[in-house]
Amino acid sequence: MMSIANTEQKPACTTGGLGNYLWSDPPKENKWADCVHCGLCLEACPTYEQLGQEQHSPRGRVHLIKSVAEGNLFVNEAFADPVFQCLDCRACTTACPASVDVGGLIEEARGQVRQAMALKGWKAMTSKFFLETLFPHHDRLHAAGSLLKFYQKSGMQKLVRKTGLINIMPEHLVEMESIMPEIKTPVRKKYKQEQVIKAKGVTKRQVSILSGCIMDVMFSDINEATINVLTRNGNDVTIPKNQTCCGALHVHAGDREMGRKLAKQNIEAFKDSEKVIVNAAGCGCMLKEYPELFHDDPEWQEKAKEFSAKVEDISKFLYDTGYAPPKAELNTRITYHDACHLAHGQGIREEPRDLLLHIPGVEMVHMPNADRCCGSAGIYNLTNPEMAGAILESKMANVPEDVEMISMGNPGCMLQMAVGVQKYGRNQRIVHTVQLLDWAYQKEEEQGSGQDGEK
Amino acid sequence: MGKNKVKTSDIHILNLAKLIFGPQAILYKKEDLLAYDCDGFTIERHLPRAVVFPTNTEEVSKIVKYCAENHLPFLARGAGTGLSGGAIPLNNEIIISLVRMKRLLEVDLENRFAVVEPGFVNLKLTNSISDKGYYYAPDPSSQYACTIGGNVAENAGGAHCLKYGVTTNHILGLEVVLPNGDIIEIGRNGIPDSPGYDLLGLLTGSEGTLGIVTKITVRILKNPEAKQTVLAYFDNIEDGSQAVSDIISSGIVPAALEMMDKTAIEGVEAAAFPVGHPKDIEAVLLIEVDGIAAGIDDQIELILAVCRRRNVREVKVARDEAERGRWWANRKTGFGAMGAISPDYLVQDGVIPRSKLPEVLARIHKISEESGLRIANIFHAGDGNLHPLVLFDSRIPGETEKAIQAGSACLKVCADVGGSITGEHGVGIEKKEEMRFVFNEEEIKAQTDIRNVFNPDCLLNAGKLFPTPGRCAEVKRELASKS
Repeated sequence: MMSIANTEQKPACTTGGLGNYLWSDPPKENKWADCVHCGLCLEACPTYEQLGQEQHSPRGRVHLIKSVAEGNLFVNEAFADPVFQCLDCRACTTACPASVDVGGLIEEARGQVRQAMALKGWKAMTSKFFLETLFPHHDRLHAAGSLLKFYQKSGMQKLVRKTGLINIMPEHLVEMESIMPEIKTPVRKKYKQEQVIKAKGVTKRQVSILSGCIMDVMFSDINEATINVLTRNGNDVTIPKNQTCCGALHVHAGDREMGRKLAKQNIEAFKDSEKVIVNAAGCGCMLKEYPELFHDDPEWQEKAKEFSAKVEDISKFLYDTGYAPPKAELNTRITYHDACHLAHGQGIREEPRDLLLHIPGVEMVHMPNADRCCGSAGIYNLTNPEMAGAILESKMANVPEDVEMISMGNPGCMLQMAVGVQKYGRNQRIVHTVQLLDWAYQKEEEQGSGQDGEK
Repeated sequence: MGKNKVKTSDIHILNLAKLIFGPQAILYKKEDLLAYDCDGFTIERHLPRAVVFPTNTEEVSKIVKYCAENHLPFLARGAGTGLSGGAIPLNNEIIISLVRMKRLLEVDLENRFAVVEPGFVNLKLTNSISDKGYYYAPDPSSQYACTIGGNVAENAGGAHCLKYGVTTNHILGLEVVLPNGDIIEIGRNGIPDSPGYDLLGLLTGSEGTLGIVTKITVRILKNPEAKQTVLAYFDNIEDGSQAVSDIISSGIVPAALEMMDKTAIEGVEAAAFPVGHPKDIEAVLLIEVDGIAAGIDDQIELILAVCRRRNVREVKVARDEAERGRWWANRKTGFGAMGAISPDYLVQDGVIPRSKLPEVLARIHKISEESGLRIANIFHAGDGNLHPLVLFDSRIPGETEKAIQAGSACLKVCADVGGSITGEHGVGIEKKEEMRFVFNEEEIKAQTDIRNVFNPDCLLNAGKLFPTPGRCAEVKRELASKS
């Protein structure tokens, strides 16, 4: 049998883990024990498709994660590379006959890597700035949003672009800057004075929404559309004040401790809510997986389970509770992209398509490999721009030529696909599913035919 | 994704890196090699010396020449889904991964053939031509991921090989890099038969011991006009087995005739693609007929009648393509599904005369009881190709060895009733000793003599396929003394 890297020293301080996992909350043995190495996941994996190398495949990664526990590999740079090249897109979980939780294993392994090796240099700075200084604090995010708004409105954006000042940025950031959505007022600010945003007409249910961190700054119009669609369908909406960033980006980056901190804050913030409605697939998936963060803390795991049971994606919530299909026609040809954390992460595929198909005048064109990752993967497009770019290229090749819009249910994908549209000279508009629905309702109201009719 | 930055004192790695292009075209650090220490057969694990990723035939040829000149053992690998260990580097080989050679080079619908590179994934061929009404028939259960190059090496079968034949019946031409680096072509332009010895037949199923296939011309077929699929549940295995025999002897040639036993059903129902098989039945049959539309209904009627005569508990015809798809996904992911009920499994691949099915299943059941290990059976019942899946936990000391013994005992049973030790998975490492169940020393020597014509120094995939490596062992000793 093989044995590797025996020459390396074990760190002096250990908490007694599993094999060469020396820190708390290691990858769980029962998760990799499900994998029988059959390889049916290989073709589902975007990084394997690009590189053709098995350490960058789901099966290979699981094998390496297991090897550390068996003492054949150490938690070091060589282990970190395949573990962090993973997009965490969960396509392998869909493909796997034994439903191996590869995503969960990857996140736990990243937790070990981060505890073993602190990030250094600019990566550490960027990571710390976004994940610790910015995202968990909505006041700072709003301030940053205001700055971006100033950047756009004051003419500075034009100046920067014209003078070529923009060229000092790395290419992928230039691409990002060019598709930055227009910054509007966050819903948390807008509805600050209102305890409850009342349903239009009879109240049938009370729901709360996760306003999100970046979502509310960069995409407050989607939050606005979400509120409109919910109130239009008989839901009183609250935006609990103490809620914070869901922690998905932290957990993806291996900072499980921060993930737990944010999870606890959210669990408390939504304590009195009956339903927690989410319009960002990545956040929704994270909220549903909070119990995974508390394997060593039964009390909080119980609370997390109760909380997770209340979480639902906006498209599934509307589909399940019944909603009034809009009567106004939108007359547009669209296609639909499955966000990984909606399709693979939460198994939600048909519901958003159903919402879209029930908007009169919407014609849906099938996108081949619609559930293939676009390369956004949280902030993967910032941390692994080259791989993300290659994956985006194959994604864009699948976007049908003759559609006007690409609809989806996740803000990260929206930014990435907007980069794709710009970079490959396409002309599609990128929209959130709930925005299309909201536009149809608005048109219906303008046409004065706003009589309710349950689906 | 980086370029080829190679930092090592191993002169051969440095030289090989110069022969190939592309990002990360060579892996040589131990940590990077770990994912290549086994394939779908996980019981033996060995690290390769390096893995190289050529993108064309010339690169493969250069690598092979270099290995031959410098006496470096080497072998070819596709997706690594093989179940007999054919791609495991027993001798610290240089692995030549062919997954970056994955282009569909040509499709000739008029003459019904396609040309692919070896790393092209099996299912992608059908997906690429299905809109035009064509498909590629061999459908191993791993077809979502396995490569056609690997299919050629193992002469892969699949559920639909009952009617359409295994890989070798669909290969029209091969481009091969011989173990000395020469590039040869066998068969051309999709012409089915060539004069002289059937070298295509020899190469197909040679388990990567005679050469490395770099281009493959395969037969493609027109989609059948009609297709019907039946699911039948039986309360005892004898009735199920007898129904299989009756269907075949009634004159019907089903496109597929699959069977799963109770333990297998438990596995697939606990896994990702359950279809609601009753938990208390002893056997399920999945039967598919295809062909011209006229007559399909009659065949289905006949099959239903046979099942009823054999005391079927419930039998149903797939209502639509979606239901048919669910039934097949449930069956085709059956091996991997065992992960849901067992940490490890070892799959065997015996072939028996159909009439012996009840007897063999009873004997396998006995092996299971004696070893204390559960054995699930998933098999291509129509052509008597059994897949006993021995379930075990490698973390329990001694259990792996017990599983190997139980697997071998299953093969012995197959050989004893007049069958064979492999139907489609190949011999590889796993079954090389069991070759003695079906061949005597002379017969084995006759075959290794053929190998030595192609592979005289035994540098290519040594230690596979045959017991008593003979000359290969000498070569290995010689190599060991040099390094």
